Amino acid sequence: MEEYDVAIIGAGPAGMTAAIYAARANLQVLLLDKLAPGGQIVNTAEIQNYTGMGTIEGAELAIKMFEHTQELGITFDYGTITDIQSEGKVKKLICEEGHSYRAKAVIIATGTKPRMLGVPNETKFAGTSISWCAICDGPHYKNKKVIVVGGGNSAVEESIFLAGLAEEVTIVTMLDLTADPSACDKLRAMKNVKIYEYHDIIEFFGTEKFEGLRAKSSKTGEEITVKADGAFEYIGLQPTADAFKSLGILNDFGYIETDAFMATKAAGIYGAGDIISKHLRQVVTACSDGAIAAQSAAKYIEKTF
Amino acid sequence: MAVTIREIDGDELEVLLAKGEGNILADFYSKTCGPCKMLSFVLKDIAKGIDDVEIVLLDYDMNKEALEKHNVTGYPTIIFFKNGQEIERMKGLQQKPVILRMISA
Repeated sequence: MEEYDVAIIGAGPAGMTAAIYAARANLQVLLLDKLAPGGQIVNTAEIQNYTGMGTIEGAELAIKMFEHTQELGITFDYGTITDIQSEGKVKKLICEEGHSYRAKAVIIATGTKPRMLGVPNETKFAGTSISWCAICDGPHYKNKKVIVVGGGNSAVEESIFLAGLAEEVTIVTMLDLTADPSACDKLRAMKNVKIYEYHDIIEFFGTEKFEGLRAKSSKTGEEITVKADGAFEYIGLQPTADAFKSLGILNDFGYIETDAFMATKAAGIYGAGDIISKHLRQVVTACSDGAIAAQSAAKYIEKTF
Repeated sequence: MAVTIREIDGDELEVLLAKGEGNILADFYSKTCGPCKMLSFVLKDIAKGIDDVEIVLLDYDMNKEALEKHNVTGYPTIIFFKNGQEIERMKGLQQKPVILRMISA
């Protein structure tokens, strides 16, 4: 079984930054991902708020970050971790694919995944005309029409942001607006905003390019068609943390609780990026978490082994 | 050991398939799609270590007839052909070992 100083689970911005910092601390690093490098940014058309990059495609930034890890000789492998077990001070990582690894410290950076509606054509337009990040992709819709699906805080806040850019924002939500009342009032007062409450999404449509969505009122049964250039979904996030439940490091919402050093309650296990309980989930904050987690892991290894 | 990835159009794909021999991995992609770009990166990595599969790229937006003929409804879609016959297809970004298993069928 292969042994490393640090195993990093998840090769998004947090995991890749952790890998870079850990490698530069002379640690033997294993970087794992279940799919491919990049994480959520692969699904982001353009990133315009990562310092120094100006505007960069999400996939391009992911590739640049991954190439940076490879320049440092970091071992990358594919694996879906199903469990982390303790063997004395050492951690054993069990992979769904059948193999396993040992490491002195583990950094979990598995991120979150957006909840999806599961309606027809959603997958077809995901990452191009359907987005989960208004800050990232909103500027594409300047003077265009967009749809926002959802009615919680994220949906309302992002709708307000989008209404400042887009010609028209149509909110379609399964219930009513459940965000903070002041935010809801602000949104309702905006002239270029339409709100359809208590509507279930039937499908997105568009032959070659995205054209809009169809929804049905759960109160009257009446169907509506909303035409737009793109859509944003805010129906919640889902932490990718099922494999770590037995460690006792998750909060009630399934996110990893960490301290300022990205340490969890479990010795030698750190969290970084979107998977941890935090207020702002952005590439830049994920990278910051990764750097701190790697430094903390290095100090832990030095002290413990 | 390595193969070159090349861009072709739908007509060229049909010519390749009509020969009825060899292994072809066709990647239907879009220039505007992030997962397509990452898949392309993964395919380039795969291409370095194989020599018996031809990897071809088809622009989803430029090859409508090929989409209809092969019932491709989204991108990225990869289809593995052996001796002119479709063996398997996958939609979305895939991990390297999964694609390697697919083309070793």
